[in-house]
Amino acid sequence: MSELAIRRGAAPALAVRGLSYAYPQASQPALEDVSFEVSPGEFVLLAGRSASGKSSLLKAACGLVPHFHGGEIEGEVRVADLDAIAAGPGELAAAVGYLAQDPETQVVSTTVAAEIELPLAMRGDEPAARARAVEEVALALAIPHLLDRAVDTLSGGELQRAALAAALVTRPRLILLDEPTSQLDPVAGDELIWLLRRLNEEWGVAVLLAEHRLERCLAAADRVLAMEAGRLSFDGAPADFLAWSRDNDPALETPAARLFSLAGIDPLPIGVREARRTLDHCGGEGGTPSERLVLLGQPDLGRPATPHPSKLSEEGVPPSQPLTFGATGLWVELDRGEEPRDVLKGIDLKIRRGERVALMGRNGAGKSTLLRAAAGLHEPTAGKLSVDSIALLTQNPSDYLVRERVGDELPGETGLAALRVVDLEHKVDADPRDLSGGERQRLALAIALAGQMEGEQLPGLVALDEPTRGMDHARKGEFVRLIGELAQRGAAVVVATHDVEFASEFADRVVLLGDGVVIADGPMPEILSGGWYFATEVARVLDLPGVVTPEQGAAALRGEAP
Amino acid sequence: MKSPFAYQPRPRPLQLASPGASVAYLGAIVLVAFLYSNPLVLVAAGVAATSAGLLAGARRAVGLALKMGLALGLLIVVVNAVVVNRGETVLARLGEWPLFGRVDVTLEAIVAGLSGGLRAAVTIVAAAVYSACVDPDRVLRALRPLAGRSALTATLVSRLVPVAAADAARLRDAARLRGPGAAAVGKGPLARRLLAGSLDRAVDVAATLELRGYSLDAPRARNRRSRSRYDRRFYAVAALLLAAAIAGKVLGADDFQTYPAVEIGLGPATLALSALVALSGLAPLRRKPKRQAPHHADGTKVPLYGGKSSRRQSGAGVARV
Repeated sequence: MSELAIRRGAAPALAVRGLSYAYPQASQPALEDVSFEVSPGEFVLLAGRSASGKSSLLKAACGLVPHFHGGEIEGEVRVADLDAIAAGPGELAAAVGYLAQDPETQVVSTTVAAEIELPLAMRGDEPAARARAVEEVALALAIPHLLDRAVDTLSGGELQRAALAAALVTRPRLILLDEPTSQLDPVAGDELIWLLRRLNEEWGVAVLLAEHRLERCLAAADRVLAMEAGRLSFDGAPADFLAWSRDNDPALETPAARLFSLAGIDPLPIGVREARRTLDHCGGEGGTPSERLVLLGQPDLGRPATPHPSKLSEEGVPPSQPLTFGATGLWVELDRGEEPRDVLKGIDLKIRRGERVALMGRNGAGKSTLLRAAAGLHEPTAGKLSVDSIALLTQNPSDYLVRERVGDELPGETGLAALRVVDLEHKVDADPRDLSGGERQRLALAIALAGQMEGEQLPGLVALDEPTRGMDHARKGEFVRLIGELAQRGAAVVVATHDVEFASEFADRVVLLGDGVVIADGPMPEILSGGWYFATEVARVLDLPGVVTPEQGAAALRGEAP
Repeated sequence: MKSPFAYQPRPRPLQLASPGASVAYLGAIVLVAFLYSNPLVLVAAGVAATSAGLLAGARRAVGLALKMGLALGLLIVVVNAVVVNRGETVLARLGEWPLFGRVDVTLEAIVAGLSGGLRAAVTIVAAAVYSACVDPDRVLRALRPLAGRSALTATLVSRLVPVAAADAARLRDAARLRGPGAAAVGKGPLARRLLAGSLDRAVDVAATLELRGYSLDAPRARNRRSRSRYDRRFYAVAALLLAAAIAGKVLGADDFQTYPAVEIGLGPATLALSALVALSGLAPLRRKPKRQAPHHADGTKVPLYGGKSSRRQSGAGVARV
């Protein structure tokens, strides 16, 4: 088929027919009889729980499976009319771009410009053509200012954009993205999704995007594919997907759809704008959602009292519990190889036992630095910091696992006590590598807790740094339960997270950091309903103070007290 | 924290030049250090390497390399003084030492050690400047058509080193964060864990290289990068240094003898060569662009911004520079 025919859309950007695949020595196939097509210029969202086969499918579409990973493959994969199973990833590079979850291992050059230019240089393009392509893709992704920067000085969001630019510079027909927003804050995550939509519309690039946080990208998608245990379980329009997920897999429902389901409103909305329009239609024209609820005859629901007001003192701390963390005028300076920089700039914060605190803010706002300073990994430059005892779980739980048996990581009675806290005492003889992702995380937490407990009494502060990266909704639910148990046992639980929906499920208090200072600190419903980026989808739909979860929103819409 | 020796892109001539020109220039300085033993010439080569690094903005790399180079130089001086008993000017008789036998410290052995130490210091500083100022990607891509597999291996290693360093820092932090009831982590398990993690990382990086088309046949003719405007300057300085070094050898500029007595030649050839070598360190100097007054179509000068002319007053043909 001619190049022009492919460009004009005669050939699908991706055609998968009867694809089955098993990794080497795997007992279960990763993909089973998967068939679908992606048309040129289509934006397709790939949904599914963890380990449902999304990543394997993306790797098959770019040739890494089976060329790089080996294994047994059946069926047909064609990318812009190229046989992806016969051709290797290098030959497919001009037709398909691939962006994985972790941007750190997706850059191989020293500078951003060199990284973007690499695929063109490998293809043998002329210097002038390379210079123009680099310039254009940098402009499209709004990164011309990064071109001369060294890649190891970039933030996670910047690195992700640089990797995306390298994937797009050959003007591929198809771009594959595997949870590209999992390490980004809500602002950077939203920016990336809308950037993809713009590229999709203006450049005509077909997009196949695997993502857990569906509420972030459903409105941008033309179509949704859902995977379940290696099989395609749904293929249709976003609105139909919402109805399907409600009936078949509620873990894939978006918060706005769940809100409407609980409130008995149809059709289910694919995004905030559509939800607001539907509510407009229900409640008359104009005004804010709270005013529209007044029109619906529910005048008191728009202004619920701030939840838990009695629990909090003026400082936002339940005064009956002992203080476990106190920072006064805390400054921390870090030197990451360029100029030393103040990461924390006079933090004042108190946390008491039993509190469940979500620590939020943009990438680089100082969340991890605050937790690391509390754990003694960074020395304060100025100010006071007092922590009675702390167990910190950093962003990579695998870093804690160095032995081949759970019992060897946590020997003796103290080890068993820690395993009991995370409900893993029955895994004492297992190899940590055989545990599921969630179990590995709980084991790492037990390692941090071990020996810090007096009997069953937990350390004063349990701190978790981005524990839900790449987790599906079901696994996040398990984590919410664990956090609740830890707080009930008397520990203050502080979780640094970008995930506002997760924060709304576990936290009773939110501390928002901005460039090293506390810019908001208060009850969770108040903070997560009072903004745009750091607000839940339900809060953005209803715009009611204090209403952040689908359950609260549905109660408000039904005329009940939230 | 980033290593001071890691390449840092800066808009300076040495970084902007093609890798061939930068390597030729720094290589010429090192070659002078290996061709000559005269301490004056070696000091000049050290000054050149240091100036080049400072002018290229690699202050931290040069500072650290100087410390390392001078420490190594001192060690060479001490070892040479202890091990070599030759020379007429005995400064100290230290008697019989086990393994070394009789140890006499002579002025000649110290000066000979000084010459070797200076050479080592020059090499270390020049290597540090190369590391901090020459883009390794461009070097590897230049090598790729000649030795594809070696270039691929070098690319993988050069990317994995900083990634492994970051992994090691994270693993050390995690080891510090283990509760007192968890099994202690020694260096062995930590090293094994780092190695296993590095293999996973290597697979990821290799997959990325594969996706970027690294496995395709290396294009030769079309893979030439456009030259930098600084290339000629560095090639010219390198050629000049080499020519001067060879001429200096012929003219006796390396007039230097350590045993049996120290004789350091300080003739005109040596002095001229030393001055030239030291001045070669100014090659990475960035020239400020000249402020040239633009001209009107009729050839008359347009005054610089702030100046006055009848044309400007009339509001026509005014250019801001």
